[in-house]
Amino acid sequence: MRNLHRLLGQSKKPYFRSVQQPSRAATTSPLSNDQQTNVETLRKIYSNSVDVVFRSFLIGGKTQATLIYIEGLSDTEEINTNLLRPLMEEFEEGLSLRQLFEKKVNISKIDALSTYEDCVEALSVGKPVLFHEGDSSGYALGLNRWDKRAIEEPEAEAGIRGPREGFTETISVSTAQLRRIIKSPALKIEPVKIGSYTQTQVLISYVEGIVDKNILEEVRTRLSRIEIDGVLESSYVEEMIEDNPFSPFPQVKTTERPDTACNAILEGRVAILTEGTPFVLIVPTTLFSLLQSQEDYYQRFLISTLIRWLRYTFVTLSMLLPSLYVAILTFHLEMVPTSLLITMSASRESVPFPALVEALLMEVTFEVLREAGVRLPKQVGAAVSIVGALVIGQAAVQAGIVSAPMVIVVAITGIASFMVPRYNIGIAFRILRFPVMFLAGALGLLGIMLGLIAILIHLCNLRSFGIPYLSPIAPFRSADLKDVAMRAPWWMMNTRPHQTEEEFNQYRQAPAQKPGPDRNK
Amino acid sequence: MLEKGKISSAQMAFMLFAAVVGTVILSIPAISGTYAKNDVWISPIWASFAGLIAIMTAYKLQSFYPKLTIIQYAARILGPFPGKLLGLAYLLFYIVMNGHGVRIYADFIVGTTLPRTPLIILVATMILLCTLAVRGGIEGIGRAAQIIVPGYMIAFIALILLILPNCNAEHLFPILEHGLTPSLQGSIPPQGWFAEFFLISFLLPFLSDKKKAKKWSWVALITTTLTLVVTNLVILCLFGRNISSYTYPLLTATRYISLADFFENVESVITAIWVIGNFVKFSVVHYALVLGTAQWLNLSDYRPVAWPIGILTIIISFWSMPSQMALSHYTTFVFPFYSLLFQTLIPALLLLIAYIRMRDSKGDHSS
Repeated sequence: MRNLHRLLGQSKKPYFRSVQQPSRAATTSPLSNDQQTNVETLRKIYSNSVDVVFRSFLIGGKTQATLIYIEGLSDTEEINTNLLRPLMEEFEEGLSLRQLFEKKVNISKIDALSTYEDCVEALSVGKPVLFHEGDSSGYALGLNRWDKRAIEEPEAEAGIRGPREGFTETISVSTAQLRRIIKSPALKIEPVKIGSYTQTQVLISYVEGIVDKNILEEVRTRLSRIEIDGVLESSYVEEMIEDNPFSPFPQVKTTERPDTACNAILEGRVAILTEGTPFVLIVPTTLFSLLQSQEDYYQRFLISTLIRWLRYTFVTLSMLLPSLYVAILTFHLEMVPTSLLITMSASRESVPFPALVEALLMEVTFEVLREAGVRLPKQVGAAVSIVGALVIGQAAVQAGIVSAPMVIVVAITGIASFMVPRYNIGIAFRILRFPVMFLAGALGLLGIMLGLIAILIHLCNLRSFGIPYLSPIAPFRSADLKDVAMRAPWWMMNTRPHQTEEEFNQYRQAPAQKPGPDRNK
Repeated sequence: MLEKGKISSAQMAFMLFAAVVGTVILSIPAISGTYAKNDVWISPIWASFAGLIAIMTAYKLQSFYPKLTIIQYAARILGPFPGKLLGLAYLLFYIVMNGHGVRIYADFIVGTTLPRTPLIILVATMILLCTLAVRGGIEGIGRAAQIIVPGYMIAFIALILLILPNCNAEHLFPILEHGLTPSLQGSIPPQGWFAEFFLISFLLPFLSDKKKAKKWSWVALITTTLTLVVTNLVILCLFGRNISSYTYPLLTATRYISLADFFENVESVITAIWVIGNFVKFSVVHYALVLGTAQWLNLSDYRPVAWPIGILTIIISFWSMPSQMALSHYTTFVFPFYSLLFQTLIPALLLLIAYIRMRDSKGDHSS
């Protein structure tokens, strides 16, 4: 594979400052026989931490025991009624702790721990740890419970038809959502821990038998290479596993909808779930899969096909429209029909700026308003849009600072850029608009062409996990056009999309399922 | 091997089509028309034989030395020193050819749309893009060609359809008024361009589907011939036998386009599309040049020489053509013979020598 060393991101410099694990030496050693020592060591590990609770008690009034848990991560009510009460009160003579657990303690999950590292891990996910005299192992009790957000409708990916639930920050809920959709045991979910301090759980999920083995292996190696202090959002992971980090185009698709993630998984892609964020990463990703919306599959295929065409057109427009306006007004006035030219010249009469400056002014203003609108609370957001509409739309035109056609161009561009179902690809096209505008101001249509060629070269060389970014257009795969040039009805989508040369599990459904009244004859 | 990327045969065909049609399409009716008059549309058919010879020779040589380009097998056929010398001659030929091509492009832009832009800006931006493309490797160029060339063809067909209502078929007659000679004379400059099909020898080693290569190169040859024949035919029917008085007849023809009184004066659009086709052409030649240089110098990677050779191409585009007169003289009278020499005659001789050597060595084994 070309550029493999770059793909794998192997740096030539060995890094000399190794990542410091918090008190690693203490944690990896095995537990001692003496429960007092164990508790003391854990006290040392968790020194200066007010939220860690050490509760010592006597099992049946005799055996010394200590329960350790972190406040807020464990269910204290359950601890009281289902753990402490049976152990302290319903103790029967001659039973070992193991037998006690079997007879008296009604907790579904109890794991024995043998090292301090295990203890720390169990504690950090909210499982109380129990030590008692005369036993060299600790016990992690499945009583973890913390407050989490309920499953809600995803805000960034709204839809008219389709499931309304979105991922949440809790990774176990997310996996359950995936598992509820894909019930086959072929759905695999592999764990990786990333972040030496945050110890963030990252899960690789895929369907065995559909996924391309090389891509899966690539995902595993790239994830295992990450050494970082903390992962607060999946974007940390995304930036560490990209093929070309300097590209304006995202090479990873993000979604907060379980149905989108499952659709990708069923197409043989790999989903990467990150603890603490509802955004799931999907690799490999191509330009066209970023321009698809999950709802395309839920609406009637004719309508979805038309909407896709509209989307492709307007994505191009969102990148080119201001540049075309500038190029035509600066260099190619002869292209404008006379009557239109007269109208436009009349409205531009009082405008003091050249077309390029006018366009830049308005486009930057629009970007600022949009960004301000996103960050502001909802109540203030309305004010911003009113001010924006007044400033851009009315006042600027009346004052003769910008022309009315320019306002129309900016408005269409703005709306066009919202045609893209995904924020990260939409913003890539919006940013590229500015260099193309400069080229249009300098060289006219030729400049736009040169800019487009440069973007095309970049896209042709870009890959996502080894998959060409422009596939299936270049390299051309006619079988995959059914989901790119159009949205074929489901009874025609017989083959799975696939980009590598490898042998793969080609058919996803039985052929010739076109419905109709004659079908049963 | 220097190049680890692979292209498909279809991508190769697109690259070849653009490499030949790229620059010439705007001026071919005028250049051929000087001699061929109203037989101008026959000239490309004669000229296509040069392409046929170039492709066949490249194939035959490729079958003797698979996975090698001409720079490499020249040394195998002629021996190290003469082989290297011939390789150098080829590199010089291609760098001059590319410099010349870029200069034609820049002169055209300055002459038609951007009269006050310095030539160097146009030449440098184009070479910059080509170098970027070459640094991306053959896969990138192949994919770019696969996207650009179909669009180019659609635009071409649309253009022809829009011009068609203004055409007058009477201009065609009399066919072959003065025998075959005028059309044969008019076919000599295009032969130079058709010989550029020999660029295939730089692409053949990197095909992922070698079985389809033959089919696709015939497709490329036939499409190219057809495109040029249609162009000449339409221009002839539009302007009559005095096409040669226009420098860029196809561009002039676009002025006839008027659709619904709204879609008019689209020369700039045609120019922009022509530019994008040219980009593919220059990148393919630049790629051949860069790869050839790296092979000639036995380098381990060709990417580092892409920039230096780009800069050399820029310089040569000014050095070798002092004025537009010299440029036009070179295009009509020098380049065709230069190109035919390097892209059909010398390869044919190489093939002959290789064949004799092969036969002799076989004879040695049997005796």
